[in-house]
Amino acid sequence: MDNHYDVIVVGAGNAGLVAAATTAKSGLKTLLLEKHNLPGGSASSFVRGRFEFEPSLHELAGVGTKEKPGNIYQIFDELGAKIDWRYEYNTFRTIAKGVDGYDVKLPAGIDAFCTEMEKAVPGCEKQVRALFALAKKVDDAIAYITKMKGKPNPLVMITKHGDFMRVASHSVEQVMDALGLSEKARDILCTYWGYLGVPTDEVNCMHYLAMLNSFVVNGAAMPYKRSHEMSLALVKVINDNGGEVWFNSEVTRFLYDENGAAIGVEAAGKKLYAKEIISNIIPHNVFNRSDADKIPQRDLKLANARKFGISVLTVYLGLDCTMEELGIKDYTVFVTTTGNTRKQYNDRLEGSMYIVNCLNDVIPDCTPKGTCSMFFTMPLFGSDIPKELKPEQYKKYKNDLALRYLRDYEDLTGMSIVPHIEEISVATPVTFARYLGTPEGTIYGYMNSGWDNMLARISSEKEDYTIPNLTFCGGHSARSIGYSSTYNSGKIVGDRIVRKLKGGN
Amino acid sequence: MSKPNIRSLSKLDFLKMIPARKQIIEEAPAQTPPPLDSYKANELAKQLHPDFQFLKVSQVIERGEEVKSFVLVPDQEKGCKKLAYFSAGQYLVIPLKIGNAKLVRPYSLSSSPKESLQGKYEITVKRVEGGLASQYILDHWQVGTQVRTIAPEGLFTYEPLRDAKHIVGLAGGCGITPFVSLAKAIAEGDEDACLTLIYGCRTNKDILFKAELEELAQKCEKIKLIYVLSDEPSEGCENGFITADIIRKHAPKSEEYSIFICGPQAMYDFADQEIAKLGLRKKFIRHEVFGEYRNPARDAEYPEVPKDSFKLKVFIRGESTTIDCNANDTLLNSMEKNGIAAPAHCRSGICGWCHSKLLSGEVYVPKTVDGRRLADFDYGYIHPCCSFPLSDVEIEVYPR
Repeated sequence: MDNHYDVIVVGAGNAGLVAAATTAKSGLKTLLLEKHNLPGGSASSFVRGRFEFEPSLHELAGVGTKEKPGNIYQIFDELGAKIDWRYEYNTFRTIAKGVDGYDVKLPAGIDAFCTEMEKAVPGCEKQVRALFALAKKVDDAIAYITKMKGKPNPLVMITKHGDFMRVASHSVEQVMDALGLSEKARDILCTYWGYLGVPTDEVNCMHYLAMLNSFVVNGAAMPYKRSHEMSLALVKVINDNGGEVWFNSEVTRFLYDENGAAIGVEAAGKKLYAKEIISNIIPHNVFNRSDADKIPQRDLKLANARKFGISVLTVYLGLDCTMEELGIKDYTVFVTTTGNTRKQYNDRLEGSMYIVNCLNDVIPDCTPKGTCSMFFTMPLFGSDIPKELKPEQYKKYKNDLALRYLRDYEDLTGMSIVPHIEEISVATPVTFARYLGTPEGTIYGYMNSGWDNMLARISSEKEDYTIPNLTFCGGHSARSIGYSSTYNSGKIVGDRIVRKLKGGN
Repeated sequence: MSKPNIRSLSKLDFLKMIPARKQIIEEAPAQTPPPLDSYKANELAKQLHPDFQFLKVSQVIERGEEVKSFVLVPDQEKGCKKLAYFSAGQYLVIPLKIGNAKLVRPYSLSSSPKESLQGKYEITVKRVEGGLASQYILDHWQVGTQVRTIAPEGLFTYEPLRDAKHIVGLAGGCGITPFVSLAKAIAEGDEDACLTLIYGCRTNKDILFKAELEELAQKCEKIKLIYVLSDEPSEGCENGFITADIIRKHAPKSEEYSIFICGPQAMYDFADQEIAKLGLRKKFIRHEVFGEYRNPARDAEYPEVPKDSFKLKVFIRGESTTIDCNANDTLLNSMEKNGIAAPAHCRSGICGWCHSKLLSGEVYVPKTVDGRRLADFDYGYIHPCCSFPLSDVEIEVYPR
């Protein structure tokens, strides 16, 4: 029958696209439903005048090259999605203002990174290397746990993988402190916290370390033609393998049988059925579109126990001068008022942390000749939007916020940015709420708070999601927050559904 | 004090992680999560960009020959209580069903943002020869007519971080409407800018919103008004078309200014050459979208076309329909005339709402209105609102 599929994937975000591409490629009859008129969710692009802006991607971890592929490279490659990757071999420049501040630029590559760390904070190299050695131990332990299909021998764990257990059950600050890293060295090493949106005294060390290690070992990559290139490449894989992608087709209802198993959805005025439903949309939205009695208590409790993760304020600028004329020399600059990530988090509304990117540094011709683009990003939760803010005050609210960061950066660097603005767009959690439809405009779903860290999520996945034939993928699910993580999540879930429906390994 | 060592951390904490997590989850309430609108960011997103607004016509104002304004208010009976706020210069997208045809049209709002808070939008419609929508609206809309619209959108707005504080507005004919809104917004204190409005019309009697504009200019010193009449000399008015000299004469001498231009395609063709003589930076020149692109065959790049009519096969969610399409009509137009409610908003190639997959065939897209993304070219996506068929074509679209 026409309205019956093997797999229906709800939401064409990164994970939904990869999951649908994976099931379609295996020969399963796949339908991907997306509420927007474009694929990708945040992984998209938008045009203003003669500029095409990247809406969300700062840098993709785990890509690597043809010769030395990382897992993201492999996912796209195996699916047959061709991406024109461009590389950034610096990790970041980080500037902390104030008397005890610093201005440090760190290259990728463990040795180069450690050498520069030593220059920035004399005497820290040994401990920094010890930190990366822990990353290796984490990898070894995960390889063992994977080999044991998630059921490792506790004795082997305790005797052979003790350091993994330590790293996996403590915060970044706890581990770095135990290694004897000075405050300044810790602050610099914790620069990436904003990518996960949880301060380093809370975020799980294993998660953070995996991300840091990946950027340092592989560098970062981005697609030549903005994230829209990745999303369209994945849609092509789905279509080429007989799968369907329906845009402008929001799922309004999830359907269950009398035993509470997911059997289908309603979208575009049709009832559509599948053996397996994969949801790239957040459980909160799924539960709100389901009959209340179909959602198990445990699943509801988990959703209610969680906090929403970070969203952002992003200022996209098309400038009518070149990056050289402005004096830009970096792709990514983190600017903070203090090195302490908890303070940065707490004082986010006072402008304590923001990230400045110039894509022309990696992709010189990403804007027309004689121009360049910049984007400014700072952490902002949907719940940070003032309760009393009225629709008619919104434009001024976001412009005021944008201008504050622009002025701050102009003061810091002496650059003259504002007079060169030819195009500007300012996105806030309201923008993400509009386009993604997530609660509070969260980008990656639920916060990876200390208790709800990645490893705990992965270990608990079976208990966390108990609705038969419904599997979640995306930043809100087990694989957790991060651009690369969402692609990984889609791959893991897609493969799982293929095994379930087709058997084999 | 012992030497720093990772072993100072207990590995057994690992075993406490999952039980602690379970405990936290167990203590949470087992209730359906709150609805999306209960979150501030989502509520605001919905207030600013509702999917639909149910309105009705409360007043019809004759503006001139074959030009009427329609005042639209919330249709309370249909559950619409408030109107979405907007920025002066934005347009309202209106879906229409005319006979068998299903189409949408964008109309600039001539009311002010403040008036939307008081429950009032105003759009102005001029009869266009062969214009299905304009004829229908002018002939059928009356007080009480129910109208369903999308929320206001569009980029022809004053952006204080980008634009000069002094705007020189160039309006042609019905292109005055967004400037009426902007002038009101300035007078009402909602936009902090100055406006020198240079308004080109054929004759005195073609001037739309004359009384309103003159009152605004008189009341508010930030607004200046200059008429440029092409077909008759008139006291106190410039004569001819809007030239570089006229712009220079009235634009501020000692400060930077941004040119905003809105009018028919012929006006852009002329005015763009004049604006080029002023030597302004690109950032100081803003165009409203061109509107429907017509007569592609007059473009130099337009290729030789073997026929003037083709087959257009449209796939919609797995089903397909084949219709005839004219080489002179956009794919969107052909679909609309055949009752296919293809998604579209700006109809000018820019907003991307009609983003669709070209499955087979060749199309012509005029360069000046090609607002596609780079990757769209590699993967065969088009904006049907500005794509003209050059062969039989297959396309996939997703009506809402």
